[in-house]
Amino acid sequence: MSKKNKIYWSLGVTEKGTRALLTDENSKFKWLRFQRNRRILVVLELLGLVLLALGSFYTSMTSSLNLSEATEVIVFSLAAILVIMLTLGAYSFLRIAVRGIADAPNELLDERQIQIRDSSYRHAYLAMGYLILGIFLVMFFGPDLRLFEPEANDGSYMLIAALFAFASLPSIFIAWREKDI
Amino acid sequence: MYATSMSRNAEVPVFNQIEEVRTKLGLSRQELADMVGVHYQTIGYLERGEYSPSLVLALRISEAVNKPVSELFSLTDPKKGKK
Repeated sequence: MSKKNKIYWSLGVTEKGTRALLTDENSKFKWLRFQRNRRILVVLELLGLVLLALGSFYTSMTSSLNLSEATEVIVFSLAAILVIMLTLGAYSFLRIAVRGIADAPNELLDERQIQIRDSSYRHAYLAMGYLILGIFLVMFFGPDLRLFEPEANDGSYMLIAALFAFASLPSIFIAWREKDI
Repeated sequence: MYATSMSRNAEVPVFNQIEEVRTKLGLSRQELADMVGVHYQTIGYLERGEYSPSLVLALRISEAVNKPVSELFSLTDPKKGKK
């Protein structure tokens, strides 16, 4: 390994950081070597993404709960912090669990890791295609969600959840499929 | 040449003797992995028959353990002697 820490700008990772993840240097995360624990993380991440997307319906939800304005702000803020912590936390652990394979460049991976990374991206691409198709079907044929109207629901949370899903789906697939390490 | 009706992506299991040979040589998975330039987990996948190596990796492993490729890998199960 060269002394200089190479930065892979397009992937958003560094050589040293990726190598550290790939070589299990951190013994604190041994519990992530078990497939069952990684699958629990996957479920938590998916739950976080769904809850984040549900933030778009904040206006509908709070109006049906009949809360005072102050309570509404406190409840929503606490819920938002918890959901963001859950999503970001699960995502960070997922990346450690799959040793950053999803974001690693070819030159730092072996042929099996490259194969599993590429097939995971293919699965992620297909999953996002079906998700977008599902959203379109709901928007055109389902109930009026009023996602992008002033004084109505705020569709931006759904977009943020979708973008986060784009980033985390390859790691989700790798974490689900890899056996105990 | 194979028959035209044969699928290009048909998964044919590749059997190997990596674990037996590695154990005989007293090598750990990590040591063999370092010798052939892969992650130790990949050696585990190979030994369990859950991953079929590329020709390059098969040749590297055969060189590392000093055994011919044909002795290490086969399309028939050496324990059962059938496909």
